[in-house]
This record gives sequence, C-alpha cells and structure tokens, in this order.
Amino acid sequence: MKFIVLKLLALFMVFSFTTLSANEAHSSEGANSAHKEETYQTKPFMEMIGGFLESTGISAFISPNPNELSATGEKMSDFHKSGGRIIMILVTFFLFWLGIRKGFEPLLLLPIAFGGLLANIPVAGIAGPDGFLGVIYQMGLSNEMFPIIIFMGVGAMTDFGPLLSNPKTALLGGAAQFGIFGTLVGAVALHQAGFVDFTLQQASAISIIGGADGPTSIFIATKLAPELLGAIAVASYSYMAMVPIIQPPIMKALTTEAERKMKMTTLRHVSRLEKLIFPIMVLTLAILVLPESTPLIGAFMFGNFLKESGVVERLNDTLQNALINITTIFLGLGVGSKLAADQFLVPETMFIMVLGIVAFSVGTAAGVLMAKFMNLFPGHKINPLIGSAGVSAVPMAARVSNKVGMEYDRTNMLLMHAMGPNVAGVIGSAVAAGVLISLFK
Amino acid sequence: MRKLFFKHLYTILSPQIMNKGNLMETNLVIEGFKFMGLGMGTVFLFLVVMIFSMNLMSYIIHKFFPEPEATVAPTSSAAPQQDNKTVIAAITAAIKHHREG
Repeated sequence: MKFIVLKLLALFMVFSFTTLSANEAHSSEGANSAHKEETYQTKPFMEMIGGFLESTGISAFISPNPNELSATGEKMSDFHKSGGRIIMILVTFFLFWLGIRKGFEPLLLLPIAFGGLLANIPVAGIAGPDGFLGVIYQMGLSNEMFPIIIFMGVGAMTDFGPLLSNPKTALLGGAAQFGIFGTLVGAVALHQAGFVDFTLQQASAISIIGGADGPTSIFIATKLAPELLGAIAVASYSYMAMVPIIQPPIMKALTTEAERKMKMTTLRHVSRLEKLIFPIMVLTLAILVLPESTPLIGAFMFGNFLKESGVVERLNDTLQNALINITTIFLGLGVGSKLAADQFLVPETMFIMVLGIVAFSVGTAAGVLMAKFMNLFPGHKINPLIGSAGVSAVPMAARVSNKVGMEYDRTNMLLMHAMGPNVAGVIGSAVAAGVLISLFK
Repeated sequence: MRKLFFKHLYTILSPQIMNKGNLMETNLVIEGFKFMGLGMGTVFLFLVVMIFSMNLMSYIIHKFFPEPEATVAPTSSAAPQQDNKTVIAAITAAIKHHREG
C-alpha cells in the first residue's frame, strides 16, 4: 500500500518537473490562448496533459505564475504566492483548532478561518474582485454594512435593566475605553521609535481592539485601515474569546481579598417604560454630542427599541436569530478573505497581535481602578471586580467578574451587577469609535 | 533640576523632531496624547450626561408615571416569571459550580 502511494507521488513529481521546463515555452503562447478557445483545435494528448498539469495547485505552489496579481490588484512577491500561502493555510488550521477544540468564539472564528483557507487558494482567485469572497467583501464589508447589522442583533439581545437600576456603573464602561486610547499612544510610540511604520489611521484602527467589541473593530478597520482588517479582526475575536484567561490575573493583582468579597446592594426593579425610553434617550444624546457615532449607536438602539417595545416579537426574533446568524456567516467569510498571505504575512501583523493584548489588559486594569476610585466617594460601594466588565465583550466579561467573585465567596452573585458596566462598555466603545472617525474627517 | 527635567521632556514631546536625516516630521506621540485627551473626555462626558439623564428619567417616570397597580395582572405575571428565571439560572450556576469545584 505504502509502495503504491510513493509511486504515485514520484509520478506527480516527474510530471510537475516536466511542466516546470515546459513553462517557458508555453508562456509566449499563453497570451493568445483566449482566442483559441473559440475555435477549438485538436491537440496531441500529451500536450493536453501538460496543460492540465500546469493548472494544478501543485504547480502553482511550486512555480507561481509571475503575472498573478493579489486580490487588490497589486504585484505579489514569490514568497507570498508559494510558501506564504502554505503557511497561511496552516494558520487557518490552527484557527480551526482554537475554535473547535478550545471553544474560542467558534461562531466567528470558523467562518473567518475557512474564508482564510479559501482566500489562499492559488489560481482560483476566490478573494479577488470576481471571486465569491471578493463579492461578499464588496457587498457588505467595504461599505461597513455587516457590522451595522450585527449591531442591530446585539441591540436586540441586550437588556439595559441592570444599567438603569445602577446608572453610575456606566462610568466603569467609560474607564475601560482607556485601553483604546492608551494603545493608540503605544502604537504611535512604536512608530516613533522606528520599529514599525504605522500611520495615525492604522494606529487608531489597531487600538480599537481594546474596545473588545468585534463589530466596532471591523467597522473602524474598514473605514480607517482596510489593509489591516484581517489581522485586526482575528486579534479582536481571539482575544475576546481569551477574556477568561487574560482578565482574572489582572483583576486579582489590583484588588485586595476584602474588596473581592464585597457584596453589592440588590438591584431595584426597572419599569418597562424606563427600558423603552432609554434607547431613544441615548440616541438623542449621541445625535447632540457626536453624530459620527450614530451609525453604530443608532443600529444598536434600533434593535433594543424593537425588543423593548414588546409589540414586534417577530422582528425582534429575526434580529436576534436569523438575521444575525446569516450576517455572521457573511461577515466571517468576508473578513477571512483578508487573511490572504500577501496581506497577513507582514511584520505589522505581529505588532497588531501584541498591541491587541496590551489594549485588553490596559482596559481591564483601568476599569478595576476606576471602581476603586469611585469607592472613595460616598454612596453605594462597588465591588471592583465588576470594573473589568467595562471592556465590552458582552456577556463574557460579566461572567468572568461573576466567576472570580464566586471564587472568594460562593454566595456573592455579581453577574447582574457586572452587566451594567458591560453594556455601558458597548456604548462607550461606540462613542470612542465615533471620536476616532470624526478626528479623521 | 526641575528645569532640566522639563527641558528634556520638551525635547521628547516637541511637536517637530529631527528624524535621523534632515527631514522634519511631526511627532505622532503628541498627536496620540491629543487623541487620548479628546477621546476619553468625550466618552466620559457622554456617559456622565447619560447617567444624569437616566436618573432624571427614572425620577420623572416614578413621580408621574408609576406602574399602574390596577393592571397588575399582565405585568406581575411577567415579572415573577423573570425573577424565577434568574433564580433558576443562579441555582443551576451554583450547582454547576459546586459540582465542578
């Protein structure tokens, strides 16, 4: 059995070598091959086999077509056409493993990784302007449509009750946005020190990873630095999935045991009318303060308003399930098309990965410290553990706060308290995104 | 001593720095700090205004539009149901935690 496989492999090798040598001779004929298609001419059988072998993936990996252009229509280096693609395919396998075995946000990581696998296929040009991934990208990513639709669905899934019953926890969601702007300074400092060449737009797009909000990251990246979209989306979603690993050590380092055991007063009941007016109120504020953030906040509040109105259950159901699922598939594949070797295997990617985790950590720390700061003032005390939930990542970050709290006192349920800063974090990062967009107008 | 420190700080954060060659280049780090100031300022301003309006809204609603007691039937049946859900979720979480831990 093994012998036969080896024999077959050897045969393939021989064939591909003959095509290598035949390449030069054929390249001059290649130019007018389009004409020949119309008037079909009989060819010797060996020539047909040769032509077919030239179009195989093996020959494309071994001797890439020198005239092949990248998805954006630019020249690619030979490494990006051959070895780079193989490396990227292995990277997508690693992402599959993370999603399936480790359970890292599989809903998005699997479509992204499979999109990346498809985008790195030679000859077929799936991520190119005429390939289906390219069409998906044009359809909803380059015009920022898909992240907005996702935001509607997220709005329909969000309950502002915990925030309304304890409004001041919204400040924690604001403090966590320090992760965004701290990383922005870090990224431009790297540039200034000469390590890497980031423009201010690229630095802003990278720093928004600290908002821990996938759709917002994608929204900003497509607007400010589309060439970095793949790396930013992968960093954003994989770190969001790693929140339970990244956050607890920081939370524990910054709090004392007594603080972690602190109990919070029970939340008051929130009336339906309050929940119904809240989305309109926030949208009004956004219109007055920062119209640039209204695409995100408007879509978010639209979804939430439909849910709280209670009279359009069908639309609410569609937003929460069917629509967000369909959009997630397209969004994932579209982002995956940016995992093509020529765009992902660049030095910037490494820096994005490092800056992304810094952004998450700084945001977590800022939230916890803000909670401790607020406890210096009179009023209901806040358990600093819920400060870390200020980075959006709904509802993962809130669950982490709850889990860490229960480690120290099993009766201490922080989940609902942590949901307040958590949803405020979504609003906070949408505002931060609006500021960044308005600065580049 | 203090003057020296500030002078040094000024050379790092000066708006225009000499970049290896003779090219003058704007200092992006300063730009970054400007972005940070404006961004964090806006985020906090927005959230503080939001907190005030939330408090004002709940005050007005509780004062002028209290939840009608007469039509308790639909609301009260919905509210305990929700409470039950959270209680059940809490209990299951606790059991799970107990089993795992």
